[in-house]
Amino acid sequence: MCDYCMTHGAGGKWYLNAQNYSNEIVEKYNLRDFLMEQYTNFEQISVRKTHGFNAVGLGYKLRMPLIGRIVKRAAEKMLHSRKPPTNPFKAEGHMGQVVPLEDAITILEKCAAEPIIEKNCMCRYMSRGIKESCCINFGVMSEIIDQLPRFIPEKDKYHLTRKQAIERFIRHNKKGYIGTIWFGPFPYVNNLCSCESPECAGIRPRKDFGIMSIYKAEYLIQVDPLACTGCGACVSACKFGALKITGNPAKVSIDLNECYGCGVCRHVCPQVALDLVPRDEVPGFAGVY
Amino acid sequence: MPGLFKKNTKITVDYSLCGDGEGIDPRTCCKCLQSCEPAVFLLHETLGADEDNPLDPQLWRITPLWLSLCSRCMKCVDICPVQAITVL
Repeated sequence: MCDYCMTHGAGGKWYLNAQNYSNEIVEKYNLRDFLMEQYTNFEQISVRKTHGFNAVGLGYKLRMPLIGRIVKRAAEKMLHSRKPPTNPFKAEGHMGQVVPLEDAITILEKCAAEPIIEKNCMCRYMSRGIKESCCINFGVMSEIIDQLPRFIPEKDKYHLTRKQAIERFIRHNKKGYIGTIWFGPFPYVNNLCSCESPECAGIRPRKDFGIMSIYKAEYLIQVDPLACTGCGACVSACKFGALKITGNPAKVSIDLNECYGCGVCRHVCPQVALDLVPRDEVPGFAGVY
Repeated sequence: MPGLFKKNTKITVDYSLCGDGEGIDPRTCCKCLQSCEPAVFLLHETLGADEDNPLDPQLWRITPLWLSLCSRCMKCVDICPVQAITVL
């Protein structure tokens, strides 16, 4: 259990606390205007300079001695910011965590504030030029998206009931998209995304550059060695390279340090040999996000 | 630190051929975005000459953003219909 759950979890996980989805937070921090401004100029966030740096060639900047460490620290400080957000051109307090399907369904059933919508994924649009609707938004975010036509999917109905949202999320998750839940900005939770690597701008800094832009899930994957036949279907489903086939007879082996606990590999296993276990129960991995 | 002495990849996009209101609109083409395996490019609205300037939402650009992840496969150079991309 990390600090987010301690302070905003009400005794459980931070994303299962319905208080974090409430409109009270919106009024307290005046987030309506903030989010409107942020999402009107959303595509520019990566190229805009913050503290004199933008994300162009970030890998090279991080590789520089000393300056690299300063850039990394500044980026993490911005993403983990807990102050009331002030600058809508920065990704202030925009922290996320990977969620498996079960937790995402609980979020949609019990926590998510109405109205619920599904908007076009901007990460996919910015990095691939494709408009694919798979980001589920709640509460005030939904009202803001209503006014920004480029986020609204053309084909499908985008205002969803809870049941429809769950159906859509299950469909994305089964397709191999990683479920992620986001503060946007802290402490307001309003995004339940179905991400893909390398397109996702939230997973990318963590995976490629080691910046803590997203936390790993509260779970880890575990394999039943007796059921596993070593077919390798899960290996290609894992976006993080945590699974590989080794040994004789061939079985899947899991690199727990690489596993983000998204649980997407379970959907492709024909033997149902993979299962999620809570992170706290795995020795050495409790509290390692 | 072997990475320190490795030559950095530089990708340039000629904005007179693609984006900035002249040439082709990057939003309708997107071929470089889709051909790039590590998704190095970013499609975004221009910031204008000065960051404080009011923005023109009609102008869109492609910026090579995650340069360190470029594998130099040159697919983007080959696929670009107006030959606007160079990889150094």
